[in-house]
Amino acid sequence: MIEVEHLSKIYGSTPAIEDVTFSVAPGEILGFLGPNGAGKTTTMRILSGYLPASRGTAKVAGFEVHEHSMEVRQRIGYLPETPPLYPEMTVEGFLNFVAQIKGVSAGDRADRIKAALEKCNLVEKRKTLIRKLSKGFRQRVGIAQAIVHDPPVIILDEPTVGLDPRQIIDVRNLIKQLANDHTVILSTHILPEVSMTCDRVAIINRGRVVATNTPALLMEQLMGGSGYELDIAGNSIAVQQCLERVEGVKHVEEMQIENLPENRIKVRVVSESNAEPGHAIAAALVRNGLGLYEMRRVQASLEDVFLELTTEEKPLEATPETADTTDNVDTEPPSTQSEVLPTETPSEDAR
Amino acid sequence: MKTVLANILAIYRRELLSYFASPLAYAIAAIFWLVSGFLFWATLEGIVGQAALYDAQAGAGVSVPPIDIPYEFIRAVLGVLGSLSLFVLPILSMGLYAEERKRGTLELLATSPLTNWSVAIGKLLGVLTFFITMSLPLLVYEAIALANVNPPVQPSILLLGHGGLILLAAAVLSLGMFISSLTDSTILAAIFTFALVLALWVIDLIAKNFTGGLADAIGHLSLLKHYTNLVQGVVDTGSLVLFASYILLGIFLTAQSIDALRFQRS
Repeated sequence: MIEVEHLSKIYGSTPAIEDVTFSVAPGEILGFLGPNGAGKTTTMRILSGYLPASRGTAKVAGFEVHEHSMEVRQRIGYLPETPPLYPEMTVEGFLNFVAQIKGVSAGDRADRIKAALEKCNLVEKRKTLIRKLSKGFRQRVGIAQAIVHDPPVIILDEPTVGLDPRQIIDVRNLIKQLANDHTVILSTHILPEVSMTCDRVAIINRGRVVATNTPALLMEQLMGGSGYELDIAGNSIAVQQCLERVEGVKHVEEMQIENLPENRIKVRVVSESNAEPGHAIAAALVRNGLGLYEMRRVQASLEDVFLELTTEEKPLEATPETADTTDNVDTEPPSTQSEVLPTETPSEDAR
Repeated sequence: MKTVLANILAIYRRELLSYFASPLAYAIAAIFWLVSGFLFWATLEGIVGQAALYDAQAGAGVSVPPIDIPYEFIRAVLGVLGSLSLFVLPILSMGLYAEERKRGTLELLATSPLTNWSVAIGKLLGVLTFFITMSLPLLVYEAIALANVNPPVQPSILLLGHGGLILLAAAVLSLGMFISSLTDSTILAAIFTFALVLALWVIDLIAKNFTGGLADAIGHLSLLKHYTNLVQGVVDTGSLVLFASYILLGIFLTAQSIDALRFQRS
């Protein structure tokens, strides 16, 4: 239904989006996920025909968005970043106006407006001036104007911004309902939204699509980014050294938790992609005589996926960290440490 | 074609509704009516005084050229009304597009199956209708004042004058609409439209006070000169073409500027 190929948009010399390619099947909900300024709005605007692309093609229902702008405009409902509302109109009057300019025939108009009002829970506000509505209601009117003409494709730019939690749930349910007979593309920077509403996710960062997949598969892909939380009795340096030698462990970080029993630490072990170092960690701890109190698998949430894919600082941060630890190991003779520490820990255990 | 008309009508209705729902529009109308009412009264008093003077001179045996007092009155009133309108029109046109840009509703219009032309035409008709509504009471005043004058005034002269006023307003509003489409600040739009009106005035002054090829050429572009022609009952095809050209130019430039807007950095 929506096909985007090698789409680029360059403002002056700065590219807003570069070589963006994705497609949305009929009836599907695609989540367009990215941090602020990643190029989500630009992509949405190109898809809606509001902005022309610098390079590449975007097709909606088989029509190129810029060449066949009118055909595309007839087939889309679009909620821009700020809902386009006329404050001096009533909700019903505004929807009537939108239905008119979207070409809904006079006979169908009343029914369509009624349906849109019902879907967006606006029936009791239909005679209210938009000026007097709260932000949440305005957002809903914005969604209502995008669906009032029953378009096959609905483009929603940050549909849940400014809503309270209860309204967010309503809007998400509404979007899910819409997907039955509409194709929906929505942009967001809120992670749970995507896993809750979308069939597929495209993650965009700095103008580039870095991953496209279903939320579940994306998480699986990055399962390696997940790891274990351990509650161990022992010296933190010894634990770290012991764990870092285990194959499949990417890095180890101590969690700063107050009020832990004496000589107990909690660490978080992040494993390499596609590695399952669980039993090796347990074995290594036992071999080194460290007391293991708890070992818990930590699933990668979509949040981790998002951070992993979009944060460039993270690997940079991670390398100095590991460098630091290796520095420490280098300066203080590792052999003496590993000799000294295990002797301490069993004595602790013995108590 | 049918859908184009339906679209223009939808835009027109919404535009008109926004004027009738806007406190600013009511304030402008109130001030316009107050000032124009006063000017009407002052002009009437002046003309009546002048007529009395003529009568006295004629009674004293001085030979005076014959003068058509009602006709002079219409000219004077419409002249004043034209000048006053030039101050009001920029305020009416300032929000036409600037407001849409500021609210983000332009994005709605630009992604709906509408051409830029139909939006511009609908908007222009909307604001023009509001202006006509504003100037209607003046037509009523004139009709009352001239109901029993001697020599009797033909209604066509009055209507022609007001037709000229509407054409003048349409031309200024059309250009003001273009200026409004260039910015998302209504204040800036108003200031630049005032500057434009001032330029029209200067053009008129040049045409009046200078002679020569260039002054003549500039004089042909003067909206006020052609307006005065119409008020004097001179229907010149050239004047009508000039007004139509100004109006079309404004609409054309607006449509183009909205298209160009999309190529800008957003």
